[in-house]
Formats: sequence, C-alpha cells, structure tokens
Amino acid sequence: MIEFENVRKTYRLSGVEKVILNDLSFAFPAKTNVAILGHNGAGKSTIMRLIAGAELPDRGRIHRKARVSWPLGFTGGFGGDMTGLENARFVARMYGEDSEAVVAFVEEFSELGPSMRLPIRTYSSGMRARLAFGVSMAIDFDYYLIDEITAVGDTRFKKKCDAVFETKLEKANIIMISHSIPTIRKFCESACLLDKGELSYFENVEDAIDRHEHNQSQ
Amino acid sequence: MWSITSTRKSDNLLRMQARVIGALILRETRVTFGKAQMGYLWAVFEPVLGTAALTAIFSIVTRHPPLGTSFALFFATGVLTFQIYQRLSTSLMAVFEANRGLMAYPLVKELDVVFARFLLIVATYLFVFVVFFGGLIMFDLADYPARLDQVLLALLATALIGLGAGLINAVIMLLWPTWKHLHGIISRPLFFISGVFFIPSAFPPNIRYILSWNPLMHCIDWFRSGYYHSYDSPTLDIGYLLMYTLVLLLIAFGSERVYRKYQK
Repeated sequence: MIEFENVRKTYRLSGVEKVILNDLSFAFPAKTNVAILGHNGAGKSTIMRLIAGAELPDRGRIHRKARVSWPLGFTGGFGGDMTGLENARFVARMYGEDSEAVVAFVEEFSELGPSMRLPIRTYSSGMRARLAFGVSMAIDFDYYLIDEITAVGDTRFKKKCDAVFETKLEKANIIMISHSIPTIRKFCESACLLDKGELSYFENVEDAIDRHEHNQSQ
Repeated sequence: MWSITSTRKSDNLLRMQARVIGALILRETRVTFGKAQMGYLWAVFEPVLGTAALTAIFSIVTRHPPLGTSFALFFATGVLTFQIYQRLSTSLMAVFEANRGLMAYPLVKELDVVFARFLLIVATYLFVFVVFFGGLIMFDLADYPARLDQVLLALLATALIGLGAGLINAVIMLLWPTWKHLHGIISRPLFFISGVFFIPSAFPPNIRYILSWNPLMHCIDWFRSGYYHSYDSPTLDIGYLLMYTLVLLLIAFGSERVYRKYQK
C-alpha cells in the first residue's frame, strides 16, 4: 500500500516558491499499474522520489507498506569505487536476499562479463544501466517505480528486458512516468494527472490521456 | 529462467533496519578502506603507529608520567580516548553529503547511514584499543586494566559524545558548509585542554574548575580511573558527564529531525 496523507511539497529557488503538491491525500489503488502524467516540470519525478523516500514532503506523511523499488534506471545509489559485484551484493544484503544468487542472476542477465569485477566509475552509461536493471530485476518488489525507462542495449537485450519484466509484472505492479503514450498504453490501466499542484486520478488510462492531451494543446 | 527464489523470511521492522545497517557497514568498510591493499588493517594500524610514535617522542622529552610509571600507558589512555571523539565528530560531519545517493533506496532511512558509520568507527577503535594495550601489556609497559567495566563505560560515554557532536556538525554542515573548515580550527585546542598530557589534579583549583567544564576531560579521567589501580580522580564528575551526553544527544537527534529535509 502506498498512501499520501495531506502531503504538501514545494520548491524554493531564488526566492520563488513553486508548489508541486498542494495538500494531496491519495492512496495508490492496489493491483493496478498507474501512469503519472503531467507537463514538463509539473513534478512527476518529484512524486516518484517522494514515494521512494528520496525526498521528504514539507508537510504530511507518506505511508509505504510494500516493497517498493528505487526509481528504475537510477544509478546514483551505486558506489563509484565499488565493483559491479560489490554493488549487487550490497543491494542483496540490504533486501535480505541471498547475495550469491543475486550476483549470479545479475552476472548472467547484464552480460557485463569481466567488467563485473571493475569499479563502476569505469563503466559507460549503458553498462551502468544494464547493471542497475539487472539488480532491480533480481529482487522481488511489490511496486516498481519507473521514471522514463530508457531503452537499454541493443534490440536483443531489449527483448530480454521486456521478457523478464513481464514475468515480474505477474506478481508486482508499476508506477510509471513516460513521455511515450504508447509505452503508457502498453503497461498502465489507470493514471494520475498532475497539474498545477493538483493530482486527479483516472481509473481508465484513456480518459487521463485525453485530458492530458487537451491540457497540452492549450 | 529469469527468476531467483527468495530467501527472505518474515520481515519485522527492527530486523529489517538491522539488516540495512549491517549492509551499510560492510559497504562503508569497502568505501573507506577498500582502495589500499589490506585497507582495513591500515585503519587499525594507523592510529596504533601514530600513537606509538607520539608516545616515543614524549617519553624522551618527559622523564616521569603524571601517573604510574609507564609513559606509554599514560599517553595512550589519553590520546586514544581523545581520538575516538575526534574521529567520530569529524567523520560524521560529512555523512549526509557522502551518502546522498543511497537515499534513493526506499529501505535506507536518514539515520541508518549515521548509525552505520558510528558503529564502524567504534568497532575499529575497540580493535585499536585491544591491539595497542595488548601490545603494551605484552612488552610489560602496562598492567591489565584494574576495572574493565569502568574503562568500557568511559569509552561508551566518549563514543556517545562523539556521536552527538558529529551529528550536530553534520546538521550545521547542511545549513552552512563553511563549518567544515571552521570546525577544524575551533576544535584543535581540545587536544591540549582535555587531559591527554596531564591529570587535572596537577592544577590549582581555579584552573581545574575551568577545565572541568570540558566533558572530554572527564572521559579521559574516567578511563584512567578505571585503568589504573591507584588513581582516584577528585575532579571526575560522572554525573556531569552523563548529563552532558544526554543533552547533547537530544540536541543532535532533535536538530537532525528538524532539518532532515535538507539532507536530500
């Protein structure tokens, strides 16, 4: 269960206050994949970071009684001086999973080969993304947070990612941000629309897309 | 094909937090000491060798230690106790800055990184104490501690003051990064007024009174009262020390909570 209770979030930059969320109370419905829509700078990523706990609300509380992933594609939690193996082990230990099983999965899945034994700072961004995706797929979450999933690797690798992700979605749900409407249609049944500090929920993703496109054209 | 079986047992909150802190400690060990070969050994031997060098120099300059017969023992009881405080108060200062990326993991709570670093430093110094005093005893430069419980309690108080001061430093750093440089300058005299080289009873009452405001002096005095068979310090005020520690920790954790949103 992920629930926002009277959450207010603002940013203050050079004295200008921007309201991202104004007193939001909202429970993400269980067993449904939710998209978060909104124009650029509406605060979609901020909502994601609030859910992950990477950011704190100014007021209110966020209840998170489920295993929630970190925002997928995020590699900032990796230690640059640590090797791929060590980073995978750290995440496994944290989640109480068998380190060696996680490492074996990540090694095979990410196809990083001997680079697994090199520090992350020597990786290209594509290699980092592959490692991050592999690690997040090695752990069972109730919710996956996906912020603008960028295609990782070549077509064959992409297919592999899709396949493993689909097996995950049999038991888990996603909360997703994407600029690609086809991606949203593919994964999400419902959506939240974020506009001027207000969040409205649409049970049917198509209604939300209509409204979103209407807002965009104004 | 692409699945691994979960070995996760029923999670309760406390066990989960302990597991996260455990993972963070291992990670911290790797990040702090991992670059050099046998990095962790250096973490232990660096303070051991540093203290040994200082001890050697001072035992040449000074003829008699203010307490007992072994200068090495006298100096080590002071300098190593002081170092626990110093390491904690400075290392914790950068703890939020260094671990900001980890906040993206929903499992990692703000204070977990603080406790992980605290526990690692305390464990390292316990190791340092065992090696150093073990060495002194082996070379007949010291006896076993007279009251081990008092020695350990004194170390615990020192560590908690280090935790409180370090956390307050970390919060000040969030609000005012210049603090990093200033803190180094302001805290330098502490080494000379905390009783590393002297025992407070050697001073006249008015100076002793001024010195007695410094909690670290009580820490070192407490440690020595526990270690030496025949040292009963008239200046030592454990009640004052514990009250100071309690208030410091309240301020530290209170201000951390108030300014938590600046950590991210």
